[in-house]
Amino acid sequence: MEQIAEQLPIVVHSLNIGFLQTLKLFFITLAGAFPLGLVIAFGSMSRFRPLSYLTKTIVWIVRGTPLMIQLLIVYYFPGLVLHNPVWGGGETGRFAAASVSFILNYACYFSEIYRGGIQGVPIGQEEAGLVLGMTKRQIFFHVTLLQMIKRIVPPMSNEIITLVKDTSLARIIALQEIIWAGQAFMKGSQGISGAIWPLFFTAVYYLICNGALTILLDRLEKKLDYFK
Amino acid sequence: MKKLIALLLATALSFSLTACGSSESDMDYVKDKGTLVVGITDFEPMDYKDDSGNWIGFDADMAKAFAESLGVEAEFVEIDWDNKIMELDGKTIDCVWNGMTLTDEVTSSMDCSNAYCNNAQIVIVPADKADQYQTTDSLSDLTFAVEAGSAGEEQVSALGLEYTAVKAQADALMEVAAGTSDAAVIDSLMAAAMVGEGTSYENLTYTVGLNSEEYGVGFRKGSDLVDALNQFFADSYKDGSMLECAQTYGVQAAIIEQ
Repeated sequence: MEQIAEQLPIVVHSLNIGFLQTLKLFFITLAGAFPLGLVIAFGSMSRFRPLSYLTKTIVWIVRGTPLMIQLLIVYYFPGLVLHNPVWGGGETGRFAAASVSFILNYACYFSEIYRGGIQGVPIGQEEAGLVLGMTKRQIFFHVTLLQMIKRIVPPMSNEIITLVKDTSLARIIALQEIIWAGQAFMKGSQGISGAIWPLFFTAVYYLICNGALTILLDRLEKKLDYFK
Repeated sequence: MKKLIALLLATALSFSLTACGSSESDMDYVKDKGTLVVGITDFEPMDYKDDSGNWIGFDADMAKAFAESLGVEAEFVEIDWDNKIMELDGKTIDCVWNGMTLTDEVTSSMDCSNAYCNNAQIVIVPADKADQYQTTDSLSDLTFAVEAGSAGEEQVSALGLEYTAVKAQADALMEVAAGTSDAAVIDSLMAAAMVGEGTSYENLTYTVGLNSEEYGVGFRKGSDLVDALNQFFADSYKDGSMLECAQTYGVQAAIIEQ
């Protein structure tokens, strides 16, 4: 116990730095995947066949392969096969490659949730809009989209919480997120070696973060309750 | 929609075009970039961080000096050890310089420098059982934990011992400490720092050495940096700077004459 108390400040400092990377990846993925998911959803709902087939194939590949493999491909493929290491070796390159993989992966999952949400809005809503003389654009943004958002909050909350934990996969391309930071003390880092507890302690960070997210998303769900 | 498809195709095309033209030598490639990207893991006393977060250690200091001799800067990048060959071939790093044992896996996939440091794979057991396991023959009924792909794994599988491959040498120690494995096999340099009195694994100790082995630096296949490094090692051994650096980190006894 005494030893842990001694190690705590060093470990917490290191885990905080790692968790900052985790959070950065989390927010960038959300910022990228929210809009990209909508684009993909439109693509797969498109009446233009080649486009809908193309997007459906992409969604199939991305959802059908492990995110860990996708991270390896996105990061190593340019250098290994194209002989052009676009990402570079440093931490920024690894972060950029991880962001691209996560955004693409999550956008595909989001797109299916969006599609379900859009198609779940009764056709009568659109017809009512037409009767009122609204344009297609107005109907989408003022009628369909708002009701879709209400419908997709519970499944999206699920994905968002999963995303917080999935960021840990980025350690496969040596992105130094919190799990990496915790594991470093097992091998030996900053004078602490063979310490097992920092790795387990990372769970506390995830729990607190996901607790806060759950409260936020619950509130959002309640706020959207006026659509019935 | 057609525009979108055209855009996608154009991106794919530009990707494949930039792929061409990599005939220059590795030395020129590194000099053009101005940095030698060194792939490492946090591994005391070879590569580790000082209090202000700079990479130090015997390997780190030698790498800095080597980069300086080329007129470039050393950039240290922490990698996942399992992916070192991918990192090297994918040009995300330029060399692996991290107390790397020259195993068959390493020498067949990289061009390596001359060996510069001795090491051994040794057996770790709980201290209270140490006296029962002082010979290689006595190990046969134990279950081992070893780092996947490590020289330790090579040794235990050569001896036909039962083992579990884990992610890192530290994980192997954790297995023994937790009692999930009877023994582990790790590097002697690491064991000296991590096992026994005054360390985090006070209840563990080391017994038999299974082999002796050597550390080297790995480069891409066909790289002309190998010769440059061998020359650098020879020079720095002769003028004493290599031993001086080794003394700073307490590894002078293991240094190999160049």
